[in-house]
This record gives sequence, C-alpha cells and structure tokens, in this order.
Amino acid sequence: MSDVFLEARNISKAYEGVKALRDVSMTIGRGEVHCLVGENGSGKSTLIKIIGGVVAADAGVVVIGGRAHAHLAAIDAIREGIQIIYQDLSLYPNLTVAENISFNQFVERRASFVSWRDVRSIAERALEEIGEQIPLEQIVQDLSVAKRQIVAITRSLTQNARLIIMDEPTSAITKEDVEHLFSVIARLKAKGISTLFISHKLSEVFEIAEVVTILRDGMKVGDFPASELDDAKLTYLMTGQRIQYSPYRFSGEKKAAAPLLEVRGLTRKGQFQDVSFSLWPGEILGLTGLIGSGRTELALALFGLNPPDAGQVFLNGRVVRVRSPEEALRRGIAYLPEDRLTQGLFIGQSIGDNIIITILKKLLGALGLIDPLRRRKTENSWLEELQIKAPSPKVRAWSLSGGNQQRVVLAKWLATDPKVFILDGPTIGIDIASKSNIHQIIRALAERGIAIILISDEIPEVLHNCNRLLVMREGRLVREVADATSVGEEELLTAIGGKLTNKTA
Amino acid sequence: MKAAIFKRNEFYLLLVIAAFSFAITLINPAFLTIENMFDLIRSSSGMTILAIGFFVVLLSGGIDISFPAVAIVAQYISVKSILALGIDDIWLAFAIAIAIGIAFGAANAFFISVFRIPTLIVTLGTMNIFHGAMLEFVGTKAIMVGELPNCFKTFGLTDILSLPRADGTQYGLSVFFLIVVGALLATWVILRFTVMGRVIHAMGGNMEAVKRSGYNIARVQFFIYCYVGFLASIMGIIHVSLISYSVPTYIIDSELLHVIAAVILGGASILGGTGSLTGTILGVIMMTILEKNLVMLGLSSFWQQFFVGLIIVLGVSVTHIQKRIRSRT
Repeated sequence: MSDVFLEARNISKAYEGVKALRDVSMTIGRGEVHCLVGENGSGKSTLIKIIGGVVAADAGVVVIGGRAHAHLAAIDAIREGIQIIYQDLSLYPNLTVAENISFNQFVERRASFVSWRDVRSIAERALEEIGEQIPLEQIVQDLSVAKRQIVAITRSLTQNARLIIMDEPTSAITKEDVEHLFSVIARLKAKGISTLFISHKLSEVFEIAEVVTILRDGMKVGDFPASELDDAKLTYLMTGQRIQYSPYRFSGEKKAAAPLLEVRGLTRKGQFQDVSFSLWPGEILGLTGLIGSGRTELALALFGLNPPDAGQVFLNGRVVRVRSPEEALRRGIAYLPEDRLTQGLFIGQSIGDNIIITILKKLLGALGLIDPLRRRKTENSWLEELQIKAPSPKVRAWSLSGGNQQRVVLAKWLATDPKVFILDGPTIGIDIASKSNIHQIIRALAERGIAIILISDEIPEVLHNCNRLLVMREGRLVREVADATSVGEEELLTAIGGKLTNKTA
Repeated sequence: MKAAIFKRNEFYLLLVIAAFSFAITLINPAFLTIENMFDLIRSSSGMTILAIGFFVVLLSGGIDISFPAVAIVAQYISVKSILALGIDDIWLAFAIAIAIGIAFGAANAFFISVFRIPTLIVTLGTMNIFHGAMLEFVGTKAIMVGELPNCFKTFGLTDILSLPRADGTQYGLSVFFLIVVGALLATWVILRFTVMGRVIHAMGGNMEAVKRSGYNIARVQFFIYCYVGFLASIMGIIHVSLISYSVPTYIIDSELLHVIAAVILGGASILGGTGSLTGTILGVIMMTILEKNLVMLGLSSFWQQFFVGLIIVLGVSVTHIQKRIRSRT
C-alpha cells in the first residue's frame, strides 16, 4: 500500500439546493493511478473542482500531504502540487510549445521580464523529464490534440505537480494516442506523481487504473481495486437500477410492410461505422451504449447536424439526404437533445416562446405577423396535453422543475408533428415520478403511430420502454434485440461495456 | 525557417506595397523620392502611433474605439492650458496631454476590469463621455493658427535631418519620426520581453487559461488601456503640431476606421492573439499610400472610403474563416 498523498473527507456540495455531492470521501496514494467514474451528473466534475480548490465545498475537508484544508483555495492547491488538466487543456493556441510550457513558471515567479533562454530551457527540461519530443518553436494550434495534451501535461510538471487530474483526456484522441498517453502516465507514476483519471470508456479504466472510485447521483458507490471489477459489474455500479417498469408491447399487426425509416451502412469516420437498421411507425426502438459509443453522433447525423461520410437513409422507401435540422423537420424527423438546459431550451425565455419556436411559420396571420390568438391557443393546448405544471405560458423556462422543462422540450418538437422522433437521454437528471410520466408520454406517442428512437445508457429505461433494442459500442452496432422482453439486464450490460473481442483496426 | 517567410501575411503585404509603389512611380516619378518619403512619414506619424496602441489592445483580445476622442480631448485641453498658463513649452504640453490620456485609459480599464463589460461597449460609451464633457466644460471654440502657442508650431517644423533640394532650399525628416521610432521600440520591448507583454499575447489566445494561471488580469488591462491612452495623447500633440490648429468638435473618426483597417491589414486578428508590430507598420504604410495616391491613379477620393470599409470586412472575414477551418480539424 502506497502512502497517502491526498484525502478528501466527507465532502458535500449543493448548487442552488440541488445536491451535487453527498458525503463523499476519497483517498489517493502517492504515485497511484486512480480512476473516477460515473454517469453524467454523478458529481465527478464537482469533486475534482473541490480537490483543485476551484469550487468550495459546503462541508468536508481536503487533506493534502497530511495538512487539512477546510477552505482550499486554487492557489494553495497548486502550491501543494495539484494540477487539473481540463478537457479544453487551457493552452494558448497562438503561442509556441516552449512558451506554453513555461508560461506559468514566469507568472508564478512574479518576474517582470521574460528570458527567452529560460523559456526554452524550462520547456526542454520538462519535456525531457517526461520523455517526450515536441519541437519547441511550434505554434500550439498547429499540433494535434494528442500532442497538445502532452504539452498540457508537461506544463503541469513545471509546477512541481504531485497529482495530475485529467478530465476525460481520451475523449478526443485516437487509440494509438491513448496508448501513448498511458505510457506517459506510467512514467509519471515511476516518478511518484499520482494521476486521477476521469473516463467514460470502461476498457481504458481497466487498462490504466489501480483503484476505481465510482460515483452515482452525487454519492460514492465505493472504491474498488481495478482487478476486482469487470465490465458488467462496473457498468451496473455506475448506472444502477432505479425504477420498476412494465414492458412496452408493440402490436405486430400494426407493422406496415415497409419501414418508415431505414438506415444503410451509415458511417462517419471516428464516430460510427456501417450502421444499418430499420424503424416502423409505432415502434419504440431503444438505442443504447456508453458515451462515446457513437449513439448521439448517429442521432445527430439523422437530424442533419453531423453529416455522414457514407451510407444512405431512406424515408418511406425513398433515399433522403438530410443536410440541416430545417430539412430534417420538413421531412418529419425531430430530435430531442441530450442536454436539455443548453440545447433543448431557451432557458431565459417563456415556456410559450419555447414551444412555438419550431412552428413560427404556421402561426403567421395576416400581414405575415404572428397571430396572437392562434399563438395563445397553441401554447395552452400543449400545456394541457403534456400536463406541464405552470400557471401560464408566460412563465420563464428556468423556473420549472426538470420534468416540466423536459415536457416543454417535448411539446416544442411535437408541435412540428414529427413522424420520427429521436429522444436522446430524455430523462437525464429528472426525478423518478416525472421520469415515469415522461415514459408514459413517449408510449402514448408511439401508440399514435410516431416512430420513436429512445437513446439512453440506463439499461432498465431502454429495456422496459422499448419493444426493440440496438446496442452500440465503439461506433458499431454490436447487437440487435428483436424482442426487448427476451433479454436480461446483465446480458445487456455486458453488451454495452468492455472490450470488443475482435479488435477493430 | 526559410519557408516560414512565405506563409507570413507580412511578406505578401510587402509585395503588394512594392507593386503599388511601382505603379504609382510610373505615373508620378516624384513618388519614390526621399522628399516624398519624408513627407509621408511626417503626415502619417500620428496614425502610426495610434495603430501601435490599437494593435496592443487587439492583441489582448479587446478593442478600444475611444482613442480618437482621447487624442482630441488631450490635445485641446493641453492647448488651452498652455494658453491659459502662458508657459509656451512643448514639454509641458506633452505632460498635460499624457496625464489626460492615461487618466482616460484608466477609466476605460476600470469599467472593463471591475464590471467586466465588453471592451467595445465600454469604449463606445467613454468616447462620448470624454468628448461630450470636454465640449461642455472646456469649450467648443476652435483655436486657429494665429492663436496657437508657438511651441506647437515650432515643434511641428522641427527636423532631425536636413537635406538640400536641387534649388538650394532645404527639406527634412520631421522630429515626429523619432517619436514613432521610440513608441515602436518601447512597444516591441514590452510585447517581447516583459511578462506583461507575453500575458497580453496569452490573453488574446485564451483568456480563460490566463485566469486559471493566477495572473492578475485587471493589472494587465489597466496597463493596456492606459498605454493606449498615453499613445493617443501623444498623437493629439503631434496632430495639432502638424496642422497648426485645434478644432475640439472634430472627433477624428475617419482616423479611427483607418487605424482599424491598417492594423487588420497588418495581419492582426479581431479575435486577438495574432499579428505583429511589423505587420502593423506595413498596414499603416499601405493605408497611407492608399489614402494619398488613389487620386493619382485616376480614382475619386470616395474610393478611399470604399476601400477602408472593404479591408475591414474582408480582413475580419478571413480570420473568422480561418478559425472555422481550424476548429473543424
């Protein structure tokens, strides 16, 4: 057992009353490679920000090298050797590699003048220490993302890093680059520098981590030696089971001869590959997979926001090429985005405005202006139909609960009268009661003949609300389940996680 | 390193300037003479100094459009004070103007760093506050040649180098040239060799990262906007010394657009972080040639306005397109 470098004790944090972290403790040993995993919204980023002193905890202490900090300031964290490498890397794209690496040194020294010889020698020494070679005079924006990452890691070494926290470092780089990154982490370990690694890709977690801490809904599920975990167990611990469902039955006789939507060999390099499936009216087709499996990227492609490189999409048997969301909507395809707050809603505007935004043209009256009466009628009818609990359509979207907000987003897309409705994580961050209400709405829509694609990484959600399932992993459709009642949770968990047996080139 | 020069915006700008100069010389052989060059240097000194200041702001990712107002306010108050005090001394005139310029710069920096208001909006507002307040409290009456204290006129005619013409009369290189060279050198040293200067570059590249590094951004912002105010006030004195009268109601707004166009032409991005002093100077040279010689090429002077607008729109479009291409890879 290596000695302890950092200990977070009983950390709690709430944002505007919503508990982001509840009594979470974690220990990181010297030279340890530690993984922090959890779903979106599980509290991972809040926890690393507290460790880095960027966000203050409501309760709990951070103990670094034996010294307890109740209120850890960012500058203290840096002095104690904690370096956070954010996903955006915090580099200066317009400056050279050498300057990026040595910049913080000059800031820290409170120097007035720059010695260009020092700039070079600091950078040279740091690159040497980490065993990397990158031309010092290269401008950072001309480097690949993987190289930029190395620059960011090298920079953190110049500030005597003892713990380097990497926030999803592998989300934007290729497999070879991931391997290279791991070799760098191994070299850091050899120097006694600890790494806290945040990842969504389970296979990577097993490859690199010694200890895995799992968070769920702001609480710690536990610390596990990586050797004791496998894909299924880890995925299960991350997602858990939360709701009891009754299965959705799709009556076969409703099935028309030809599918409404058919996708053949759809490919976008680096995101998804050779995806083919069909969708009939009245179906709820579950699409599941981990983040980065290509599920959202595929959905965006169908909605015209992420043009595929190859493959075809058929609507009612005819080839269509959807190049923009406008075109998608015109053809009857709607997409409810994963991130309700930033992509689904105009959070500062009234819920009425949010609902009618997609159908402004239909509300035009004489003179080409919006007809206030028809507008009011439309808004009220949606409030009623989806049971949105708000005193009036004039209420601002931010004042609603998550469940009501999501119903507003549903109304906004349903107003376009879609034939195919893609729902991406429709119940993320929504309380259990509202969740089942939204599930009911989705079922009612399907029964009305809308073809639905329900995307979720919560296994029980897709298992019990869909009649058919598709599983994506590393950009490929790896499994199709024709009858959702025929598989168990464990089996699906294994399917979405872990390594592919036949390695893709 | 050899190939790098062909990738640089400055190289192409230099080619265009050379081609342009050649064309003009064909029509008017008097263009490429030392006397004309000295004359162009003298008349474009003010613009060069403003461009240097504007480049520094742009590099940091900000924008300052109040500098023409600062220049005219500093100029008019300085001239009025010299008249009122009766001390006809150019050093005092500079001192008064500079104090005003720095004070206004500090006011800009205050709103920008304390209230975190976008720099364009702040300077749009302060520009009118400075100018309006001066017109109300200091006066609106123009000070013409007869009234203007001698120190300005003498200063405007001081040469640091004299050469004889064919007819025996003299022409010379204005003292303004020294000031321009001084401003250039100082700015170059600041941008290249001080930590503050590197932070200015860094701010234009990634403001968020500078904040995370723990550097005191407010301090840099105070420096930047005071420095621009400082340079603008110097321009104010050069300007009155050049034309020998001071009109307080005239806010040098055409100068504003020319300066912006020159700096953008020189390769600075409106988004901050890129560009060079060399490019800025070349941009000023290009603008000066355009300004003075379009008529000679048979185009009406209205074309000048047209080109200034076109340069700004095209220049900004190019940087945005480059950015989009980059973010796609």
